[in-house]
Amino acid sequence: MLTYALRRLLGMVPTLLLISAVCFVVIQLQPGSFLDQFKEDPRVTPESLQAMTRQLGLDQPLWAQYLHWVRGIVTEGDFGYSFANGRPVGSLIWERLGWTVFLAVLTLVVSWVVAVPLGIYTAIHRHRRRSTLLNLLGYISLATPDFLVALLLIALVLRTGGTNVGGLFSPDYIDALWSGARVLDLLSHLWIPMIAIGLEGVAGLMRQMRASLLDVLHQDYVRTAQAKGLAGRRVLWGHAVRNAVNPLISLAGLSLPSLISGTIIASIVLNLPTIGPFLYDSLLNKDQFVAMTLLMFSALLLLLGNLLSDLALAWADPRVRFE
Amino acid sequence: MFVSRTLALVSLALLGAASAAPKKVSGYGALGVVNGKAGGSYTLPLGDSPQSLFYYGVIDNNLGLISQQLFDGLVEFNLATYKIEPALAESWTISPDGKVYTFKLRSGVKWSDGQAFNADDVVFTYKNMIMNPEARAGDPGNFKLGGQNVTISKVDAMTVRFTLPQPAPAFLLQQRYFIMPQHKLAKYGQENGAKPADINGAWPTNVAESEVVGTGPFKLATYTAGQKVTLTRNPNYWKVDAAGTKLPYLNSLDFLIIRDPQAQVAQFLAGNLDQLNISGAQFPDLKQKEVAGAPFKVMRSTALFGSPPFVAYNFDAKNAALAKVLSDVRFRRAMQGAVNRERIIDAVYNGLASLPGHGVAPANKAFYTNTTRQLGDFDLAAVGSALDAMGLSKKNAAGVRLLPNGQPLELDLTYGTDSAVYPPIATILQSDFAKVGVKVNLKGILSSRLLATGQSGDWEMILHAFGDQPDPELRRPIWQPGGSLYYWHRAPQPAKDGDPANTARMAAWEKEIYEIFNKAAVEPSASARKALYTRWQLLFAQNLPVTPIAKPENIGAVSNKYGNYMYNLGVIPGYNPVPLIYQK
Repeated sequence: MLTYALRRLLGMVPTLLLISAVCFVVIQLQPGSFLDQFKEDPRVTPESLQAMTRQLGLDQPLWAQYLHWVRGIVTEGDFGYSFANGRPVGSLIWERLGWTVFLAVLTLVVSWVVAVPLGIYTAIHRHRRRSTLLNLLGYISLATPDFLVALLLIALVLRTGGTNVGGLFSPDYIDALWSGARVLDLLSHLWIPMIAIGLEGVAGLMRQMRASLLDVLHQDYVRTAQAKGLAGRRVLWGHAVRNAVNPLISLAGLSLPSLISGTIIASIVLNLPTIGPFLYDSLLNKDQFVAMTLLMFSALLLLLGNLLSDLALAWADPRVRFE
Repeated sequence: MFVSRTLALVSLALLGAASAAPKKVSGYGALGVVNGKAGGSYTLPLGDSPQSLFYYGVIDNNLGLISQQLFDGLVEFNLATYKIEPALAESWTISPDGKVYTFKLRSGVKWSDGQAFNADDVVFTYKNMIMNPEARAGDPGNFKLGGQNVTISKVDAMTVRFTLPQPAPAFLLQQRYFIMPQHKLAKYGQENGAKPADINGAWPTNVAESEVVGTGPFKLATYTAGQKVTLTRNPNYWKVDAAGTKLPYLNSLDFLIIRDPQAQVAQFLAGNLDQLNISGAQFPDLKQKEVAGAPFKVMRSTALFGSPPFVAYNFDAKNAALAKVLSDVRFRRAMQGAVNRERIIDAVYNGLASLPGHGVAPANKAFYTNTTRQLGDFDLAAVGSALDAMGLSKKNAAGVRLLPNGQPLELDLTYGTDSAVYPPIATILQSDFAKVGVKVNLKGILSSRLLATGQSGDWEMILHAFGDQPDPELRRPIWQPGGSLYYWHRAPQPAKDGDPANTARMAAWEKEIYEIFNKAAVEPSASARKALYTRWQLLFAQNLPVTPIAKPENIGAVSNKYGNYMYNLGVIPGYNPVPLIYQK
């Protein structure tokens, strides 16, 4: 198992290198440059633009810019410089990572806790009215974009006279020290992003769980178990669900990159201090090293997520073990 | 002539000398300003995280909004008349030849950390930031006149002097640059061995708050990444109100970082923001809520600053036959009759806009010349006969006029899709132009790419806007033919930046405008400058390098809890009404 994991990890290096080259090319294909946005500013003369071009290294040939960036990462762990913020990219991402991970993990946990039981329920009670209703709701929430849900919730809160319409805290608590009141304030804001971002995940997972459980319920081994006179509960939880959960494990690994790019619009609408809008801006402005680093980070998470879910699958399902 | 000029300069100098530290802010009764009381906090939106906390290190509007509350310049605007008044400079004199500006600094001014402000700070700031070509948000272009450098020197501890190679009447207006503390930034100074570009790295967003020191009404308290910037009252601020109470009234000024304009409105309605600038499209909804008893007021005010949209035709369009028509003044004048300004003001701006000036906002009392009559009337029949008279009378089966070479008269209209006003204006133009046989194809791009597209020359007709300023000299690269932003006619632009424009490629009227700008830039007499710019506005109105469409009004919403609200467009150094705002 260990050698397998190591082999996979080593295999990521060339993959990432290839991805980084592709990302760089794609970003360069975008028209214009980071400096375009300043042309209209009366303070910025053509000479200043030239000076900035030189300072940012944008006068270098593209391959040199790319090599310089890659070399920085390999030799010094330096992910380059944000043109806009005049600060190393690494520390900027680090600053925003906390809330991003917190929100992502929380929505992930909440959506699993809600979706898996619902999926099981709708699979077992396949043609009942209640599960049909649940399925319908699932379809609707799957079809509704998360930002729209967010806007609707904001409108609802405003209509009822509430003040928690975005962000994670009320203005007074943003820079306050942690206290009971601050936690309460966080909770009173948190439910909107939880619902808006989590809903889509819930619906998807629930459909997945339902489908794979339905598959499994008609397998021979389930019938065998039933024929052997095992209690219905044991058959369901011990055999059917245990097997049906495998595809979800792969799914969980694939959801890691959504940490960065999954909730951009919802984050903008809900004013959440996460990485998504940061990526969006860097792409719009051609702040190239920020965009590259985030895209690479996203790719790395995808590869790691894949590896983790393979390992988890191997642990959960004896049929996929390697040795 | 010479006598009146000297008199004007002497009286200007006297006006400056009349006030002594601290500065008393009074005379805004007409704007509804009353004496307020101390205390309270005020919350404003910020469109995104500031990219740095050092004003001259990044070009960033959000940082500008914060910096405006942290720093002051030598001079500032009168909030009602836009005339220049003393700020950190208590008085100044201008030599009779208009080449030497001597600023006497306000005595007793302290930085927010208690250190004394003096001439060293001013010289340090100008040398290392404003005149430093490597400082990203510096402004070195304004300190090179006729190819030679302006020099700055310290006369004594409280006096600085600028020596100009040639007279520059707009020079005083420009000295609203924020002055930075030498005692905090000395290590970035070139005189202390730093490289010129090092200054850009000062005060990154993770700097200790106590390092950011200014003379402005507020000082930095905390910055929470991506969420909020908190400023607190600077107890050392140098302004008092009419009753002698120290300004600012407010104890704290908070900026909530909210990227989405709709989210800003939601936060304002929820009471988490106390003030918000809104657009004409949002006006009816908020006004309705105000009338229904919501605890805020929506106010409109005529605007001097702000960007009136225009439509421009590419004189150098790739299709030569088309370029010939577009660069023909008869065509542009004729088509002006197909621009339905009233409908646009009504439908797009909800009536919250007025007829535009030509390069100068109608609210600009110092320079505006009334050119309303030259805007013409919306009259499609007249447009039709004018185009016929130009020899564009043949039409194809679809009713589109034909160019002399038989091609249909068809234009791509480039406009910004991510804007509340450009898309509806574009469709109105398209439909009216079609009625006179000019086919318009809409070509939407991101608004942020409009200028770059314009400068690339790859367009035929464009919908764009440039901001108005109090003095036309400040917008010279836009309106002087051959300037770097005069992109509708790129032929006269010099091959290399900094070279003189190619006057041989200008039309006669363009050449005249070119010379007007050159003359006005060095003309010390205010009345002579006004006459020159009047001539320019008339030439503009008659020849339409671009066709202005409307001048939008400024609309702001403010909570009823606060008094002395004045509309504040955003980052206009030297225009800051916030110190006067008080909590009722």
